Amino acid sequence: MQQKIVDFTNLLRKSGIRVSVAESIDAFTALDELSLADRGIFKDALRTTMVKRSEDIATFDQMFDLYWSAFYDGLRNSFDQAAGDMEGEFDLDQMMQALQEGMQNMGGDQELDLSELAKALLTQDLDKLEQLIRDAAENAGVERIENMLQLGFFTRRTMEQMDAEGAGDQLRSLAQQLREAGMGDAEADALLELIDKFLEALRKSVRNYTERQLQQQNFDYMEKFRRESLLEKSFYNLTEDEIKKMREVVVRLAQRIKNVLSIRKRRLKKGKLDLHTMLRRNMAHGGVPFDLIFKQRRKDRPKLVILCDVSSSVANVSRFMLQFVYSLQECFTKIRAFVFVSELGEVTPVFKDKDINDAIEKALDGGDVINVYTRSNFGFAFHHFWQNFLSSIDNKTTVLILGDARNNYNDPRAWCLREIQNKAKDVVWLNPESPSAWGFGDSVMDKYLPYTDVAEECRNLKQLSRVVDRLVL
Amino acid sequence: MFDSPDEVIDQLEAQGYICNKNIATVVFLAEKLEKPVLVEGPAGVGKTELAKVVSAATGRPMIRLQCYEGLDEAKALYEWEYSKQLLYTQILKEKFAETMAGATTVKDAADRVGQEDSVFFSERFIVPRPLLRAIRADEPTLLLIDEVDKSDPEFEAFLLEILSDFQVTVPEVGTLEAVHKPLVFLTSNDAREMSDALKRRCLHLYIDFPNEELELRILNKKVEGVEQRLAEELVGVMQRLRKLDLKKTPSISETLDWARALLALNASELDEDLVRDTLNVILKYEGDIKKTQAELGRLITRKVEEGEETQAGSDAKQPEKTKPAKKGVLH
Ligand SMILES: Nc1ncnc2c1ncn2[C@@H]1O[C@H](COP(=O)(O)OP(=O)(O)OP(=O)(O)O)[C@@H](O)[C@H]1O
Ligand SMILES: [Mg+2]
Repeated sequence: MQQKIVDFTNLLRKSGIRVSVAESIDAFTALDELSLADRGIFKDALRTTMVKRSEDIATFDQMFDLYWSAFYDGLRNSFDQAAGDMEGEFDLDQMMQALQEGMQNMGGDQELDLSELAKALLTQDLDKLEQLIRDAAENAGVERIENMLQLGFFTRRTMEQMDAEGAGDQLRSLAQQLREAGMGDAEADALLELIDKFLEALRKSVRNYTERQLQQQNFDYMEKFRRESLLEKSFYNLTEDEIKKMREVVVRLAQRIKNVLSIRKRRLKKGKLDLHTMLRRNMAHGGVPFDLIFKQRRKDRPKLVILCDVSSSVANVSRFMLQFVYSLQECFTKIRAFVFVSELGEVTPVFKDKDINDAIEKALDGGDVINVYTRSNFGFAFHHFWQNFLSSIDNKTTVLILGDARNNYNDPRAWCLREIQNKAKDVVWLNPESPSAWGFGDSVMDKYLPYTDVAEECRNLKQLSRVVDRLVL
Repeated sequence: MFDSPDEVIDQLEAQGYICNKNIATVVFLAEKLEKPVLVEGPAGVGKTELAKVVSAATGRPMIRLQCYEGLDEAKALYEWEYSKQLLYTQILKEKFAETMAGATTVKDAADRVGQEDSVFFSERFIVPRPLLRAIRADEPTLLLIDEVDKSDPEFEAFLLEILSDFQVTVPEVGTLEAVHKPLVFLTSNDAREMSDALKRRCLHLYIDFPNEELELRILNKKVEGVEQRLAEELVGVMQRLRKLDLKKTPSISETLDWARALLALNASELDEDLVRDTLNVILKYEGDIKKTQAELGRLITRKVEEGEETQAGSDAKQPEKTKPAKKGVLH
């Protein structure tokens, strides 16, 4: 049992559920306290100790069925069927009875040399059989199975590992001995037939196990692939569904950043006594300091101004960046957000909205402040910003620009960006195109590059979250 | 101590709480393994209530820590009763003078005062807040840390320390250990995800909306005097309502509120008008109400079908089927 739980834990890990060592120990302790006869309770106990995120529950359920229920049920079916398939009026209990007596008759001097497998087959000890199959499969390296074509091969290897043939020989020779010791011919024949049936059931079960292993392998692979690809999938051409899933990933990434921040803050906490304020506040008590006031340690939180290109090529970068910034608002002193295609307009109220997704979608749609159905003109947008909003920038402000710098052969007016950079702490530019394309065709990225402090390709969530990390940590 | 999950089910039912095996198993294990339980799930599915009934069933008094943004150690764990300390100093002024008598140097005087530190920094001057009370209580308690997701991440980091060893170190006093390990329930609405570190220390329980059968049992248990037929219809509507894409999906508490409201109106069955008029009991957002009104027909379909069946079944009632005709007249 222990080994089975360890295996199952590994399976959970492979399918993307994080289970720590402490948690798997909890699972063992929990199982000690319970009667395992009830599958439901057994399952609940494993889940409550090892699976801590509600999103993972579905995966756990699937894995549990795959690992615990399906194989054992199949095993029982095969063996029930084997007995059921016997010809004529065959009664398994009677046969077992006869077998018992026959073996007793053979007496003690003749050592019965049966392997574990042979004994388990003879007594249809399904728990034991399950364990033997799992062990043999492991020795045969079944977890390396990759495709359907290998099913036969690994089934045979597993049968060899548990020496199924040897067990068959032992059982057949046992039948022979019983016949010699006086068991009726009819019964001995029936026994031989039964042995064949059991061996066939065993082979079926092993194959079934191998198939499941393949399924599990595929499942791991698909899961991993799905998650990795979401982080690395290009922002171009996302489906609705992918956008939805990515939003969830962003929420989680943002949370992780916040956790790191808060642990750091906790270490910094507890400032000194603030004598000044304390004396003032305690005037009422005749200057006796009844209320203590501590200085709040302040970390320098950046101010942020975001300029989002919302033309379709860049909309997704803007979308997820806005979501990030929304989730991390408390990490900034002040945030202002602008969207542009050619005109530029402010959408800062996005961050006050309760329904963030709606708010962002609205902002990407121009947010009632700009017309998004025009052709991109960065020069025009920057100029507009320079004219109207330059005062919102000071030497604590990081200016974050999201755009592909494809300017439709308009005047880039790079000097506006230079003026912005002069006033700002940093100018960070995220471009969904790869640097090799910067400056080619109608891209004027090369004109803007001298006036940025950081310019990076940002084509997927992984790159985006790295930038966010650096902004706030 | 519960002997088995089944016993948990029985004892909680005796306290008016209907639970499934999953909940019972986790509660059982929490007590056995002495581990905190993190209860997650949508609003109103009985997370807080679970802690209350376990408290009642086990006879452990409940100590509740309600979390909110800005909750800090001083409010959750302990605070020095600074004004009381000051008051004592004033009252004991003379005593101090005695202590100081004969001190020749400032250093000597300071040392003597220093020796009395322990008087002022002792448990006497500590105001215990819920966490410390749970740890120091002289009988086993149940500690409910409610809506932990509303607290700040820093507070969570601090909770983590408490939950791992159930002891508190007060620098001036020393380490205060738990007399009895409290049974801890943390509830969360998923306003933010709890850290992995916290989750590792807890058993996890996810309470989802109940299925039809369970919800009906809860309704029967909690609201007396609802006719069975009405109860079934009502639960049916709630179950279908939860499949709509609403801003706030109504929960068990809404089911109970609704049943009480209908009871007050002396209703014995649901029809479209009645549902429309009482929708604001179960839905809080204008948008949700609008959306639901558009679906009203489908939400109570089953009832209509049943109605038609009975009509078809008894020919005698056939003539009463006049509604369509009436509508025609109105046009
Ligand atoms: N299984 C149950 N048996 C009996 N009553 C229940 C059950 N579940 C919920 N209730 C009732 O539903 C109401 C809401 O429960 P409770 O306040 O515990 O919800 P909650 O999950 O803590 O919600 P929130 O997340 O809003 O705090 C309570 O009145 C409670 O009595
Ligand atoms: Mg609650």
